[in-house]
Amino acid sequence: MSDIASRVKAIIVDKLGVDENEVVNEASFTNDLGADSLDTVELIMEFEKEFDIQIPDDQAENIATVGQAVSYIEAAK
Amino acid sequence: MSFNLLKGKKGIIFGALDPNSIAWKTAERVHEEGGEFVLTNAPIAMRMGQIDELASKTGSHIIPADATSLEDLENLVEKSMELLGGKIDFVLHSIGMSVNVRKGRAYTDQNYDWTQKGTDVSAMSFHKTMQTLYKKDAMNEWGSIVALTYMAAQRVFPDYNDMADNKAYLESIARSFGYFFGRDKKVRVNTISQSPTPTTAGQGVKGFDGFISYAEKMSPLGNATAIDCANYTITLFSDLTKRVTLQNLYNDGGFSNMGVSDAVMEAFVDKEQ
Repeated sequence: MSDIASRVKAIIVDKLGVDENEVVNEASFTNDLGADSLDTVELIMEFEKEFDIQIPDDQAENIATVGQAVSYIEAAK
Repeated sequence: MSFNLLKGKKGIIFGALDPNSIAWKTAERVHEEGGEFVLTNAPIAMRMGQIDELASKTGSHIIPADATSLEDLENLVEKSMELLGGKIDFVLHSIGMSVNVRKGRAYTDQNYDWTQKGTDVSAMSFHKTMQTLYKKDAMNEWGSIVALTYMAAQRVFPDYNDMADNKAYLESIARSFGYFFGRDKKVRVNTISQSPTPTTAGQGVKGFDGFISYAEKMSPLGNATAIDCANYTITLFSDLTKRVTLQNLYNDGGFSNMGVSDAVMEAFVDKEQ
């Protein structure tokens, strides 16, 4: 697992209070990991802080799974 | 309709997320009544909502603040006085959040980290806000502080979950701090206990639609809307209510003193037949 992927997953585990094993690439934040609208915005803001990037709202809407978050951040870095 | 009730008054409004928010409607009404204010919300809520739109509409500034952080609150109060050019006359606290409600955790199966977070955001933030205003001597004499609450603080509404306890705590803080604020600074502190209102936050409560219909049928005047609440808040910010303090004031169409109404009875009579 890349450094970015492991940092992304650590944030998700911490913010959503889910088990590390559930945080697989295909997992959807809302459907599989129990995130509500507030959680998803909070996650985006945490990613921005951790990786020192800006994720515009229209791009953030396309980040629905763990894998999508990892690829977005990898491309943005 | 404007009566210029707040002409020359300056304030801080917490918790306007989007046009459904009671705080949003209150800000619009305060503006109509000639009051000036700073809008504030948590950075996360600002990202989710449309507060910029409200700020430009009402010609007000936004100062982001996490209401659980004393540092943020100190900055908010100092900057607000700078921007508004003097001490504060009115404050609206319209903030609440329960992680247990959001995550569907039953009242009998709380995650206590979440419970604590909810208490901090929903109730302790009110104490922190008032303590900051008090220590900085930031309120004008005959100023008015209002927080929004719900009747689950007095009576059981099972799905309101740990927010019921947070609201009871909030109301108690209003009385306790209200004493000191009244004695030392001639500032009044009240809570408005509002009908269930379909805001973005309110809709997070399980079975909310049924809950609203029930309250509507039970109340002789029907549910108080967000605009009704904004109007009531205006009167509490105005000089017409100078010695109303330490009160929990029901703005609920009469719900809180009802036992049963004809409309609710009918639902059961029909079933029996």
